[in-house]
Amino acid sequence: MRRSLLLAVALVVASAALCFAAYRLAGHFSARHLARTTDDLDWLRVEFRLRDAELARIRQLHEGYLPTCRGFCDRIAAKQRELQAALDRGTNVTSAVELTLADIATLRAQCQAAMLRHFAEVSRVMPPEQGRRYLTEMQRLTLGFHEQVENRMSGEALGPHGHR
Amino acid sequence: MRTTNPDDAKLRDLLRQSRPAPPLPPRFEDSVWRRIDRSEAPAGKPETVAWLDRLLERLLRPRLALSGIAVLLLLSSVAGVLSGSETAKRSAQERYLAAVAPATVR
Repeated sequence: MRRSLLLAVALVVASAALCFAAYRLAGHFSARHLARTTDDLDWLRVEFRLRDAELARIRQLHEGYLPTCRGFCDRIAAKQRELQAALDRGTNVTSAVELTLADIATLRAQCQAAMLRHFAEVSRVMPPEQGRRYLTEMQRLTLGFHEQVENRMSGEALGPHGHR
Repeated sequence: MRTTNPDDAKLRDLLRQSRPAPPLPPRFEDSVWRRIDRSEAPAGKPETVAWLDRLLERLLRPRLALSGIAVLLLLSSVAGVLSGSETAKRSAQERYLAAVAPATVR
């Protein structure tokens, strides 16, 4: 009995180790195999089952939007450097600091608006159902984070799944 | 009193030759020793221990143990592939998001 029990325990431990190794190896290889692409739009193609013509049109829109996006990023980064310099000059929140903060907020809002316009444009190229799903998903992914932070800060209780 | 008749010995030999012994099943000796162990074990073993003993004995049969491990390995690999594809999907999504919605505005 004692020998059988020891054997069973050893077998269970060895099987668990083998299964864990198989799980990690299979996961690693499948992730590496599936994530080989370097195309930014690959997620859209797979997730929203796009046809070649739709993907080509979306690629055009995407490439047209990127310079706008980069422009906003550069301007936000410049303003952030300005803000950091103003903060380094002293411990007071001066009117210059306030002004720079307002500029950053305005730039962010403009950038977000441009982003949402781009999402809407892209969604119109997709089949209606996929377009709606894409728009909802992108709004959740890009604006949801701020909502969560604001809800936490305001102390309002969330529903059982984080919804109201 | 019984006496040994030489014809009886001949008859016994003939009978033995006419009924050849079948080959022993695999692990026959093991099971014989296990039975002997069990019969020599002190009586009054608790029912749960005896039940566990029987269960272990059944689970440790090589064929059953190996098929169990093979099934578990297969299930683990399938789970690994699913989790890997989910990771790949997440990283593709992150890639798209990083291109269209930089972290500074998210």
